[in-house]
Order: sequence, then structure tokens, then C-alpha cells
Amino acid sequence: MEIRPIFSALMRNKTGPILVALQVALSLAILANALHIVNERRGIMGRPSGMADEHAVFRINVRTLGNETPEQQLADIKRQSEVLRAVSGVAAVAQVSQMPLSTSGSNTSLALDQRQNKESAVGSVYVSGDSLIKTFGLKLVEGRDFLAPELVDVNEATENVFPPGVIITRPLAEKLWPGASAVGKTMYFGTGAEAQPTRILGVVENLISAHGEFNERAMHSVLIPQRAYGGGRGTLYAVRAEPGQRDRVMKEAEAALRKSSPLPLILDFTTTDEDRSNKYRGTVTVSWMLITVSLLLLVVTCCGIVGMASLWVTQRRKQIGVRRALGARRIDVLRYFILENFMITSAGVFGGVALGLALNQLLVSKLEMTRLPGGYLIAGAVVFWLLGIVASYGPAWRAASISPATATRSV
Amino acid sequence: MFAYYFKLGLRSLRRNPALTALMVITLAVGVAASVSTLTILHMMSSDPIPHKSARLFVPLIDPDPLDNYTPGQKQDDIQITYPDAMNILKSGLGVRRTALYGVAGSVEPPRREIPPFNMGGLAPTRDFFAMFDVPFAYGQAWTEADEARGADVVVLSRPMAEKLYGDVNPVGKRLNLMGFPYTVVGVTEKWKMLPRVYLLQGGSPYATGEEFFIPLATAVRHETQHNGGMSCSGNIGPGFAARLASDCTWVTAWIEAASAGDRSEIQSWLDSYASQQRKLGRLKRNAPNRLFDVPGWMEYTGVVGKDAKLQTWLAFGFLALCLVNTIGLLLAKFSVRASEIGVRRALGASRTEIFRQFLIETVVVGLVGGVLGLLLAVGALKLIALSGKAMANLAQMDWQMLGLTFVISVFAAVLAGLLPTWRACQVTPAIQLKSQ
Repeated sequence: MEIRPIFSALMRNKTGPILVALQVALSLAILANALHIVNERRGIMGRPSGMADEHAVFRINVRTLGNETPEQQLADIKRQSEVLRAVSGVAAVAQVSQMPLSTSGSNTSLALDQRQNKESAVGSVYVSGDSLIKTFGLKLVEGRDFLAPELVDVNEATENVFPPGVIITRPLAEKLWPGASAVGKTMYFGTGAEAQPTRILGVVENLISAHGEFNERAMHSVLIPQRAYGGGRGTLYAVRAEPGQRDRVMKEAEAALRKSSPLPLILDFTTTDEDRSNKYRGTVTVSWMLITVSLLLLVVTCCGIVGMASLWVTQRRKQIGVRRALGARRIDVLRYFILENFMITSAGVFGGVALGLALNQLLVSKLEMTRLPGGYLIAGAVVFWLLGIVASYGPAWRAASISPATATRSV
Repeated sequence: MFAYYFKLGLRSLRRNPALTALMVITLAVGVAASVSTLTILHMMSSDPIPHKSARLFVPLIDPDPLDNYTPGQKQDDIQITYPDAMNILKSGLGVRRTALYGVAGSVEPPRREIPPFNMGGLAPTRDFFAMFDVPFAYGQAWTEADEARGADVVVLSRPMAEKLYGDVNPVGKRLNLMGFPYTVVGVTEKWKMLPRVYLLQGGSPYATGEEFFIPLATAVRHETQHNGGMSCSGNIGPGFAARLASDCTWVTAWIEAASAGDRSEIQSWLDSYASQQRKLGRLKRNAPNRLFDVPGWMEYTGVVGKDAKLQTWLAFGFLALCLVNTIGLLLAKFSVRASEIGVRRALGASRTEIFRQFLIETVVVGLVGGVLGLLLAVGALKLIALSGKAMANLAQMDWQMLGLTFVISVFAAVLAGLLPTWRACQVTPAIQLKSQ
């Protein structure tokens, strides 16, 4: 009933309402997209690594001064592993080629068939002569862990050995053989005629790759039962401490390693927690920046609505007085201003939904973002409707409190 | 008149403190958000070697097998094979050539009080220093004879030399590096390329500079492992010699031409080289051989992160919102001054004069907002710098950005002020005077 007069009043003085609607539209478009991006990043950071109690795990990179023969290196690995196992509070030790989320490691292409020349998947390769299931705390969901005779020593300087059997992650198994059991099946390292076959011995629930890619590849890992030596890059150990004892174990492990070595060692200790926070540092920065901008958006828009509404109230003091004198109640004036604002906000919200979709389209095409789910726009619309009502309530209340006497006096 | 209006503008800041503060803060926040993100984008995408970036070329030759290939497909790696790099070195192309890969190794400090540690560096050929303008503090690059022999010589960075030897000239001293005794032949002055275009592999392109340099031939002779990515399509044999001969890509080559116009000459050499290699049974894909200058290389490799672009876009969207908000606030501020305008107009001021006065007033708001925005941006950059070394290198305001902040804030204020000022000019003096 009041909508028509409010609308015609708005049409008489368009600039202010257009500015407010434009503000709402811009903020809604940016807010919906920013929150979508933040949520997506949070999802990526919240992915399980597949490791039980990550906080208890750390890695040690050991380099020896001087040049050792591959045989000496192998002896070192065996001795150092024993030294580490003897440290009190150590639950498990594994010499390994790469660590989850450490952003340094290697991949291999995998195929289902020797005849295909396009890979079926790319796997992140964990090469270890010890049980990673124990050290990383992986959950075996099918098949079995490697048996002692399957764990072989491989001199990387002179031989290239392909394992007869491997363990893969469930997401990789699902990708290669959707809906079927992977255990006992054969896959190939590489593609084409040179591809080397291997059998799946077990499937673990999950293990994130060394690079932690921002797509499904991050969950495609392959465990290879080899103690590789002679590569000349130092040795990497993964150590699991008893719960809560990691920091003490790290100190004692360092002392024990230094004591056991005749040559000076270069030791580099990094916890998996540190690897995780280093890996996602940039993501966290972006998320915080987007959240800050989103909050500022809301504050600025709110200020804008309050400012314009206050202005209109001041400009229309006399008219309000006349209306009140002619019998309008306070609630009528209050309703008028809130309704007016609601109409402007609604225009902004509809514009914002369109603008938000357009912005998302731009981000999808230029920056390879994902599509914006409608839920963000709906939630954003609700937020701005509420924001509009809350922000206009103050000025509207002041308008309603204008007494007819003061307002009409100067006429 | 300008100075007077400027003074009036400053004074009117105080007239409506709440409204003015809101305007200034809105503008400042918008400017700060856009300037801080733009600074990072600017540092990320700036040309690290502007005076010769158009005549430094990096080639890409796709060695991968035919299967897995659809014509036009982008090559997997941004490096080339060792044999191709060696042939480019020998080609005599341009005025200088280099091939390089990243290395990392243990060092045994001569001073006993420092325990052994790891350092990261580069294995280039000697022309690298001249090609990328690396300045020397002591000594110089290794000689051609050293390079030919694969001699155990090393060039240290200044911070590394100071760490190892203190503040003396270390040229001629011995250093145990990766298990071999090297002789120090030079020390580079503090030198950092942002982004480090010469090797976009192994670590962030905005992280710290190189700590040492050894000749490529020496690194190969000692079978020094490379530090960075490698892409192999087939299964290669074990050992370092097999890698050298393989079609794995792990080396980067650069060619410095006398002028940017020599590009086509280099391109045609590459094409004829590739067809000659194809006759020998290599390069089965017959993929186009690509050649990039420095800006093209940065574009192709995508060194400027998508996140940085995304942030900048959103920040400018935010600035637009702040602008719209400021327009509204200015309208409000000017509308209450209608009577003042009426008096001025009645006393003979032309519309142009009113326009000038109010525009100058908005410029004052813009300047104050800009200064505050600059302070906020500096603070925001400090915060951003905390998130890692690479960011700390990037989050640095330079004179260009300072100037741009000034321009953005004043431009934003003028843009915001145009409509309200125009409205102010429309005031009819008669009506205003009558109602008083």
C-alpha cells in the first residue's frame, strides 16, 4: 500500500538511492566471491594428510661432509636408523625419499595398460626401505603392508629397479579402478612399450603428496619398498615420536646422530607441522586478506547506508512533520523509512547477484577459479537485506521521533 | 584564489568532523588496499633487467616422445636437455651464451667456530656474470681456461664470503665444498634479481639470491646433483652419466643477442638445429621450438602468481565501492551548504568559481585520505612481509608506488567529488536566499 508513494518519491530524486544500491551491489558481488575463495582455500588446507597424529612426526635431513661411496652411504643409513630407533621416546623411524607437504619430491606417471600412450594418473612417489604405514601412521584399508623380503636395497648410482609390488592410496585406487578392489591388480610405471608393471599389494586410506597440489593429484601417492642409496643428495629420515615428546626427541636425536658419526654432519630438522604451515603460508595470507576486505566491505556499506538515510531524514524534516501533523503515527514514519531502504537494498541485491555472477565468470575465465555456488549469493543477499534494515533503523527512528510541532514551526 | 580555496578546504574538514572522518577513512582504506596489493603485483611483475631484457633469449626445445602429444600442447617443463644446452653453448649464437642449473651442497667453513652447513647456488658458465650484470666486489669470474678444464673454482656472494671469511678479500683462499677443495676466485657484490628469471626452478622466484657459483663443467665433472625439478618422459638408466645423455629436461640456457632484432636469426638456427636432431632420431614431436625474451619468459612461465592478480582485482573492486560511498558522503556534506553557495552566487561568484572551490575541497579530502592510506598501506605491507621471505622481498614500497598512491588518492577524490560538486553548482541563489 505504501510502496507506490515511496517508489514515486524515490524516482523524483534518483542519485542518492542509486548510489546506495550501487554500493550494496558492489559489496555483495565482492563479498560472495571472496567468501567462496576463502572457503575453497580452507577446504584445501583442511584436507587430511592421511597421517595419524601429525604433530608427533618430524624429518631429519642428514648430509655428511666429504664424499662417501654408495656402500658407505648404505652402511650409514642402516647405522643412523638404529641410532635413531635407540633414542628414547622414538616410536618409529623410516628412511624415505620425500615427506608429505614438504614441497620437494618426485612424481611418476602411471598407466593401466602398456598399450596406452596417455597416462591414467600421476603419482607422488614415496620410496622407503622401512614401513611408512607405521612411521606415518597410515590406515591400511585393503591388502597388506610390505613384508621384510620385499624391502630391498637399491644403489641409485648403478641400478634402476622397479618394484614388483606397491601400496597406493584409496583416491588413486578409485581413480584407476573406480568401484573395484585394487589389490592384486597390475598398473604400469610410465607409458608405452617401456612401461614397467607392478602389482598393488595394499591400499591405504590416504597420504597427501609431497607438493600438496591444489587438485585431486595431491591424494595420489605410491609407496615403493626400496631403500635407495647412492643418489648423492643426503639422507632423509621420517621419525615418529611418542605422543607429546616430539621436541625432546628431536634434541636427543640430534645429539645421538652427531655422537655416532666420525665425520661432521649437517643436520636439518623440520617438523611436519612446520612443513604444513610453510606449504600453506601463502594460502593463509590470501585468506586473511580476503576476510579483512570482506569485513571492511560490510563496514563501509553500512556507513554508506546510515549516512544517506540520515541525509534524507534531515532533508525531509518538514515533510515528516506535516505527515505527523496530519495524523501519521510514529510507526508509520518508521515503517516508511525502513521500507524505503529495503526497496533500495533490494535493487542493490538484485544488481549484486548479477554483478557477482559476472565477476565470478571473469575469475573463472582469467584466473581458473571454480564456479560460484548459488548459496553464497543467497546468503549474501540475506546479509545485505538484514544489514540494510539494521543500518536504516537508527535514522528511521530519529525521523519517527521528530515532533510534529518542531517540524512544522518553520513552515 | 587556489591557496585561499585550499585553506577553506582544510578548514571545512573541521566543520563536519564525523562525516569528514568517515570520508577520509573510507578513502584511506580503499587506497591502502589497492596500493598494497598493487605494490606486490608491481614487484612481482617488474622487469628485473630492463636495459637488456629484449635481447636476452631463452630457448625451449621439446624432447618428449610422440605419444602423449596433441599438436599445440604446452611443453611439460620449462627447461631443456643437457645435450641441447651444450649444443646451444657451442652454436656461436648472439654475443654471449650460458647454460645453468641450480646446485646445493655442504660447505666446511675455514673458521672452526662455525659448524658445517648447506648452501644453495648456481652452476652456470662464465658468461652468466656478464649477461646478467652480476657486479663483483673482489676478484672476477673464472677464466675460460678454468672453465675448459672444469677447475675447482668458486665465486661466492658477498654475504656468504663475509660469513665464511669475515671482512677480508677471500680471493685465492681454499674452501671445502661438497667434499672437494675449491679455490675462491671472486666475490659478487650484493646482487638479487626479482624475480630470478635466469632460473625459475627450485624455490620461489622471489626468494633470496644465490650464495655461490661454480662452473657448469666442474659441477658436471663432480656429478653435482641439481637442485630443482627435472622432467623425464621415459625410464632413464641409473647414474649421472645416463642423465647427461638422456632426454630429461633439467638445464636452462640463455642467449644474449647484440640487438632484439637478432631474434629471427636465433629462431631459424633453433629450427634448423631441431630438424637436424630429428634426422638423428630425436625430437619426435616436431613441436615448435620456442624462444622467449625476458618479458615473454615471465609471461610464459606465469611467475606472477594468480593469487596476486586476484587480490589486486578484488582490492580495486573495493576501492570502487569506497568511491561510491565517498560520493554519497560528499553529496550529504555539500547539500547542507546550499545556503552558503546561494550567498556566494548572489554576491557575484560564477558557477565556475563554485565548481573550483568545491573541487579543491574534495582534493583536500583526497590528499588527507591519501596520506592516511599510504600509512595504512605501509602497515599492511609490513604485515604481509611477515608471511615468509619471498613476500618480505616483494612487500616493499618504492618511489614509483609512492607517486602512484598520491595519484590514485587524488584521482579517486576528484572522481568522487565531480558529481557532488556539479550538484553544488546547480544551486539557484534566489530560492536559497528566499528561504533564509
